[in-house]
Amino acid sequence: MKFMKSIRTVTAVAALCLAATTVAQAENYKIAFIARAQADSFAAWLANGIMDEVKKYPDMTVDVMDAQADDAKENAFIENAVANKYDLIIVQPNNGEAQRPYVEQAVKDGVKVITTNARIKDIPGSSSVDADPYEQAAVNARLALEQIPQGANVVVLNGPSGNMHADMRRDAWQKEFFDKRSDVKIVGEQIAHWNKEEAMRFMEDWVQANDKIDAVVSMNDNMAAGALEVVKDDPKFDKMLAYGVDGTAEAMLLIQEGRMTSTALQNAYDLAAKNISVAHDLLTGKIEQIDTDIDCPLVTKDNVAEFIEIHKKSGAIK
Amino acid sequence: MNNLMTREKWQTIKSRYSIYLVLIVMIIVCNLLNENFLSPRNLSNISAQISVTTILAFGETILIIGGLLDLSCGSVLALAGVLSVYVFKETGSLSLAFAVGLIVGVLCNFVNGILVRRFNIPAFIATLAMMTVARGIALLFTKGQNIYQIGDYVWFGQGKIGFVPLPVFFMIIVGIVTWYILGHTSFGRSLYAVGGNEEAARASGINVGRIKIGAYLINGAFVGLAGILLMARTNVGAPNAGQGYEFEALTAAIIGGTSFSGGLGTAGGTLAGAFIVGFLNNIMNLTGVDSYLQQVIKGGIIALAVGYDMWAKVNRTRKTLGAAKLPNERKEAKA
Repeated sequence: MKFMKSIRTVTAVAALCLAATTVAQAENYKIAFIARAQADSFAAWLANGIMDEVKKYPDMTVDVMDAQADDAKENAFIENAVANKYDLIIVQPNNGEAQRPYVEQAVKDGVKVITTNARIKDIPGSSSVDADPYEQAAVNARLALEQIPQGANVVVLNGPSGNMHADMRRDAWQKEFFDKRSDVKIVGEQIAHWNKEEAMRFMEDWVQANDKIDAVVSMNDNMAAGALEVVKDDPKFDKMLAYGVDGTAEAMLLIQEGRMTSTALQNAYDLAAKNISVAHDLLTGKIEQIDTDIDCPLVTKDNVAEFIEIHKKSGAIK
Repeated sequence: MNNLMTREKWQTIKSRYSIYLVLIVMIIVCNLLNENFLSPRNLSNISAQISVTTILAFGETILIIGGLLDLSCGSVLALAGVLSVYVFKETGSLSLAFAVGLIVGVLCNFVNGILVRRFNIPAFIATLAMMTVARGIALLFTKGQNIYQIGDYVWFGQGKIGFVPLPVFFMIIVGIVTWYILGHTSFGRSLYAVGGNEEAARASGINVGRIKIGAYLINGAFVGLAGILLMARTNVGAPNAGQGYEFEALTAAIIGGTSFSGGLGTAGGTLAGAFIVGFLNNIMNLTGVDSYLQQVIKGGIIALAVGYDMWAKVNRTRKTLGAAKLPNERKEAKA
C-alpha cells in the first residue's frame, strides 16, 4: 500500500516536472539582436538596454551579435540566426540596403524580424522600431532658426556619407534651416564619421581660418563635443552656439554647463524597451506587424536636469 | 672636376634629404595658399593633431626597421587609454594612471613579441590577433560605453609646458628617444642588421629573438603613452578610439622613407612623413576643400611624395654603382 502510494507520488511529481518543462520550452522564445557595431557607443548602449529590458520577460532570451560595422558579417549573422532557428531577429543595420535581401529572406523563411536604428522600410512582414532621424535634427534646426544671428558663420559636422541617419539629419538641417536662412554662411563642412577626435581636428583648423564662428551644427553629440573641446578656453567663442543629436551623457553635461545649446534625445533605453515589447507582442501573437517610433524630445538648459537622470541610472554620470 | 664634385654632392644631399625637400616645398606652397598656415597657433595645432599618430609612427619605424610590424597599436592604444582613465577615476592619481597606461601597452606588446619570437607567428598575423583581442577587452571592460568626467586627467592631452602643448612635448621626447636608440646604441645597430638580413645578423652573433622582443617592448611603451594622450586630448575614455590609427602611423613611417623590407628608416624621416600628412590635412581644411576631394588629393600627393623619394634614392644608387664601376672600366680599358 505504502509502496503504491510512493509510486503514485513519484509519478505525479514526474508528470508535473514534465508538464512544467514542456510549458517552459514552449514559452522560451529565442531572440537574436544583431548590433551594427559594439564599438559604436550608441549601439553598445542599445545592446546593454536590450539585455536589461529582456530580464523583465521570463519567456524570452536574447543573444547579442556584433557585426563590427561590416555588411558581410551582419548579413552572415542574419543567415546564421535563421539557420539556428531563432524565433525573432532584431537587426540594427550597418547599411539598410545591404541587409535588405537578407531580411527579406529571413521573413520568407518564417522568422519574425524587427529592424531598428535605422529601420529598413517596405519589407512586407517585417516590423520596425526607430526614432525619426529627420525629426531629431529638425527640432534643433527649428530652435536654431530663432537663435542663430543674422549673417552668421556656421560650421557643419556630418556623419558618414550613405548612413541613413547621417543623411536624413543633414537633410533636415537643409530644409528646416539653411533653405530658410540664406544670410547664414557655411564656412566649413566636413565628414567627421561621428568621431570626437576627428571633429576636433576640423574645428582646430576652422578656428584658424575664420575670425568668427557663430554656431556648430553637428549631426551627433560626439562631434559637437569635439568642436566645443577645441574652443573651451577661448573667450572669443564664449557665445558660440552648438547643436547635436543623440543625448549622450557628455552632451547633457555640456548643456547643463551652458556650453552646448541643444540636442535631441535618442534614448537607447526607450528604443530597447520598445523593441523588446514589440518582440514580445509579435511572438505571443498579440500583433502581426508594426512600424513605430520613439519620441525625440529636444533637450536644452531648461529641461536638461530630467534627462541627466537617465544617464545617472545607467552609471554614465555619477 | 670641381663642377663634378659639386654636382655629386648636390645629388647626395638631394637623395638623402629628399623627404625634407618635399616637406619644405609643401610648407612654401601651403603658405602661399593660406596666410594663416605659418601662424604659431596653426603650427601648434598641427603638431598637437599629429602627435598621437607620430608617437605610434615612431614605434612602427623601430619595428619595420627590424623587419616587424604592429597592426594592433590602434586597439592597444584604446585599451591602455581606457584602463588608465579608469584607474585615474578610481584613485585620483595621475602618476598611477600614467604608469598603468604604459604597462598595458608594454604587456600587450610583450605578448606580440612572444608570439612572433617563440611561436614564429608572422608579425602581421600575431598583431592582427592582438588587435582584435585588445579591442574586445576594452569594449568588454567598458561595456562599450565611454568614460566621461575625467577631470584633471585632461592635463596630459591639453596641458602645456611653456607654450608647447604636452602631446607635442611627448612627441619630441619620443622622437629623441627613437633617434638615440636607432643611431647611438648597439640595440639600434643590431635592429638594422636584423631587419636587413636576419640570417646574416644571427650568424654574426646577434641575439635576434631578444632584439625583436625589445623592439616590441619599446613600441608598447609608445603605444601606451599615445593611448593616454588621446584620451586626455579628447576628454573621454573611449573604447572605440584609435580605429585605423595603425594605418596612419604606417603611412607616416613609409612616407618618411622607412622601407617595408626592413633595415632602412630614420626617426627624422618619420617625423617629416607625419608632418607631410598633417600639413596636407590642415591646408585642405583651411582652404575648404570638399571632404570627398580631400581623400583623392591626399592619396595622390602621398603617392607623389613617396614616388619622388624612391626615384631620388634609386638615382643615387645608380650613380653610386656607376661611379664604382668607372675605375674598373678604366683599368679594363688600359689593359
